[in-house]
Amino acid sequence: MQALPSTSLTDSPHALRPRVWGWVLLAPMLAWLVLFVLVPMAILLVYSFCTRDDLGRVVFEFTFENYQRVFDPIYLRILGRSIGYAALTTGICLLMGYPVAWFIARQRENVRNWLLLLVMIPFWTSFLIRTYAWMTILKGNGLLSGLLLSAGVIPAPLEILYTPAAAIIGLVYAYLPFMILPIYGSAEKLDNALVEAAHDLGAGPVRAFSEVIVPLTWPGIAAGILLVFVPAIGMFAITDLMGGARVPMIGNVIHNQFIKAGNQPFGAALGIIFTLMFVVAYTLAQRRGRSSHP
Amino acid sequence: MKPIRLLPLLAIAAVFATAARAADKELNLYAWSEYIPQTVLDGFTKETGIKVNYETFSSGEEMLAKLLAGGTRYDLIQPPDYVAEALIKNKLLVPLDYKKLPNFKNLLPEFTKMPHDPAQKFTVPYMAGTVGIVVNTEKIKEPVAGYKDLFSARYKDRIVVLDDGRELVVGAFYTQGIGLNDITPATLEKARPILTAWFKNIKLFDSDSPKTALLNGDVDLGLVWSGEAAILWNENKKFHYVLPSEGVHMFVDVLAIPKGSRNQSAAHAFLDYLLRPDVSALISEEFPYTNPNGEARKLLTPEQLANPASYPKTDRKLDTFRHLGTSGALIDELFTDLKNTK
Amino acid sequence: MIEIQGVTKRFGEFTAVNDVSLHIKAGEFITLLGPSGCGKTTLLRMLSGFETPDAGLIRIAGEDVTRLAPYRRNVNQVFQSYALFPHMTVRENIGFGLRMQKVAAAESARRIDEVVALVALQGFEDRKPGQLSGGQRQRVALARAIVPRPSVLLLDEPLSALDAKLRGQMQLELKRLQKHLGITFVFVTHDQEEALTMSDRIAVFNHGRLEQLGTTTEIYHQPRTAFVADFIGETNLLPADLIDLTGATARVRLEGGLELNVNAAQWPAGLRRASISIRPEKVHVSKQRVACENVFEARVAVELFQGVLDRLVLEFTGGTRLTAVVANESALLEAIHEGDRVWCGLHADDLVVVRTE
Repeated sequence: MQALPSTSLTDSPHALRPRVWGWVLLAPMLAWLVLFVLVPMAILLVYSFCTRDDLGRVVFEFTFENYQRVFDPIYLRILGRSIGYAALTTGICLLMGYPVAWFIARQRENVRNWLLLLVMIPFWTSFLIRTYAWMTILKGNGLLSGLLLSAGVIPAPLEILYTPAAAIIGLVYAYLPFMILPIYGSAEKLDNALVEAAHDLGAGPVRAFSEVIVPLTWPGIAAGILLVFVPAIGMFAITDLMGGARVPMIGNVIHNQFIKAGNQPFGAALGIIFTLMFVVAYTLAQRRGRSSHP
Repeated sequence: MKPIRLLPLLAIAAVFATAARAADKELNLYAWSEYIPQTVLDGFTKETGIKVNYETFSSGEEMLAKLLAGGTRYDLIQPPDYVAEALIKNKLLVPLDYKKLPNFKNLLPEFTKMPHDPAQKFTVPYMAGTVGIVVNTEKIKEPVAGYKDLFSARYKDRIVVLDDGRELVVGAFYTQGIGLNDITPATLEKARPILTAWFKNIKLFDSDSPKTALLNGDVDLGLVWSGEAAILWNENKKFHYVLPSEGVHMFVDVLAIPKGSRNQSAAHAFLDYLLRPDVSALISEEFPYTNPNGEARKLLTPEQLANPASYPKTDRKLDTFRHLGTSGALIDELFTDLKNTK
Repeated sequence: MIEIQGVTKRFGEFTAVNDVSLHIKAGEFITLLGPSGCGKTTLLRMLSGFETPDAGLIRIAGEDVTRLAPYRRNVNQVFQSYALFPHMTVRENIGFGLRMQKVAAAESARRIDEVVALVALQGFEDRKPGQLSGGQRQRVALARAIVPRPSVLLLDEPLSALDAKLRGQMQLELKRLQKHLGITFVFVTHDQEEALTMSDRIAVFNHGRLEQLGTTTEIYHQPRTAFVADFIGETNLLPADLIDLTGATARVRLEGGLELNVNAAQWPAGLRRASISIRPEKVHVSKQRVACENVFEARVAVELFQGVLDRLVLEFTGGTRLTAVVANESALLEAIHEGDRVWCGLHADDLVVVRTE
């Protein structure tokens, strides 16, 4: 009764201060976003409508040609393949990561912390070094092949490095922690009594999983999918090194426009379309997510 | 009051003076990665007190794009011949002052007045090389003479090639008798079916270190830079280097001073230092490409000179790349498309 | 209905349930009562199937369920935390069990409506658990557990999260519901008052063992062990030595030297030493000498005014102390105050002999 209704707070002269402070706290991040996201995006947008001279310099002469080329079947096929690789990577990461995350979340606290540490240990080493380590494992006269040969499992050296399978192995390896950690975050918060309640009401393991565990860990699953799928589409270092650069990914194509083909306007157009696709897909996913979980 | 007000101004002036002096003692070098030995850079700093800031790129086009973007004021750049040609044509290089390059005379005459710099006004050759075929003769018993042999179907999935569209297109041009700088939509269409067949047999594309897959035994044949082949030969004499019978592309990487260089005297000093026979020989030791420095060659061991990849014995005419202009994008599109349909 | 035979459950070194045997009758309201860590919850979890006994046998309705998975038992539980599914509405929560049993939609809807009415949740069907009060969530949990018509309903301290007033109401509602449904209720609590209010029978646990099983009045009036006497209600526990056992009366001596007559039938055969339990309200205090088997003079050492009741600590010769509770009827009656000399009477029938561990 004595307490003021909360809305009156914003009308008081003191209300300005928290608002100002909020902006002050946000300022470094906003400055970062403007400088390193908005400004570069704006530059890309301008470039994407430009032409170039014979040295590859951007010439400010308006054209739609770059965007027309984006929708050439060559690039659409590459985009399709990139999405396919990323989707496969995401699927495998989800299948492998979910049980791991669930298992870790169900351990006692000190065990849990150790296991989480193990998940994060790879980040202590440079990503490139880890990729080269995988190449050493997978190469024809490498560790894996040697082990399998001496165990008599395979008759001839393994021909897996520089194949799409090797690229997928590399992608899954690189992104698995990004699937495990958010799912773990959700699973750890899930009250075990809810799972017991589902069993108690007659749900077997499968139905308890699909009806209770999945919906309740969905925020973690969604975050994991996003964190794996989005960077996996644009990734090209792993597919080049482990896949033998035999099939181009959309990341390779964009990268090449800037450093090999000397066609920055086209690279910019590809980048803009690529970013737009993400924004649209993300917005759609968000909207669907909201309507199914009001 | 006055002296106190002057104080900050003096401080600022002092800072500028220090910065100016520091610029005198620094050289911004933009060069290929894995091409200039650290000992060479350290030696220069030790002798002159000039610090070398070594920034690297991994393709001539990357270098060009970054140079033109104008982020850093480079004092010395290391373009491949055809990029140097484009820079000269667009008046983006500073003429050399030969009075400051007494060691220029050490260069062999055939490496001066080359097509990219016919007046010999702007560039100093650093190293030259060829693109050729490496054969692991332990695994491949049949003779491999040229592109046609290399890309034969019997070697499917045993080949590494440079991840470089232009080199592969040129290989196809050679088999069709097309001039290597004759890049038009029509000639590219002629090369397409040949390359389509070749691509089916390629296991791996790698420009940075094609020797790795050969050393590991993941592939037995390669289309590589001669320097890589020379290192392989040094590792194991089973790796033979072959100049393709259909035609050979020779490249020269040069050094040049771009317009906007702030420390041209340091750039000249470094150029002359690199042209010194002892320094040049040191480079050959680590990166066994073809050394254009006649006096330096005299310091090399007989074994170094006998390396068939570094110093191939041939009297054939070697071709060089010319600047392509925007048709480079045509090659990229073809290359991307070929990989795509592979 | 439920037969528990020699069930033991260990967690590492700790024995949570130690050789418990218990027979639960169909349709009864039985409470498993004891302090925390006594094994009552573990026993309940073995009935629901979340734990498997290390030894012993559990039968429900004649079927051996010792190792049966929880989702194959016709038993439902109301969880202490309610464990309502936060992503489902009230209606979806309640219907979950029916959906798992693949009950037809129409039938399912009818039964949900019925149980929603039973727990008075009409109008809340489309809310999510997060939009309900504690008492409403409790009802949803209850409704969800009874709608599949289990033969046994297990309740794990379901009222502990409610405030005192609401808890009192829910106790009555639960009792009413149990009578209405005729389902066997197995109720776990550490609150002896709650147990006495609701149960038909109470099983008192301590250190994993079943101390005593009996009706509420048996447990209250005839505790068999000192633990039960002390845990249920309030009591005076007085260690006593047997000095004479002839005829219908046994004579015992308390530690302070005071001697009491108790019913010989109560004295456990063969024992020399036991404890006498006497409830404070059974201690008769008067300024006049009272007619009783055991009458002593005492001094009121402490007086605590507690509204309706007056709590007195009496001290006898030899130092023995007893707590008595007397009605604080009116000031007209002879008032008893701290320091007064009074007479104290103890009926032999009110003196309960319990074993001391």
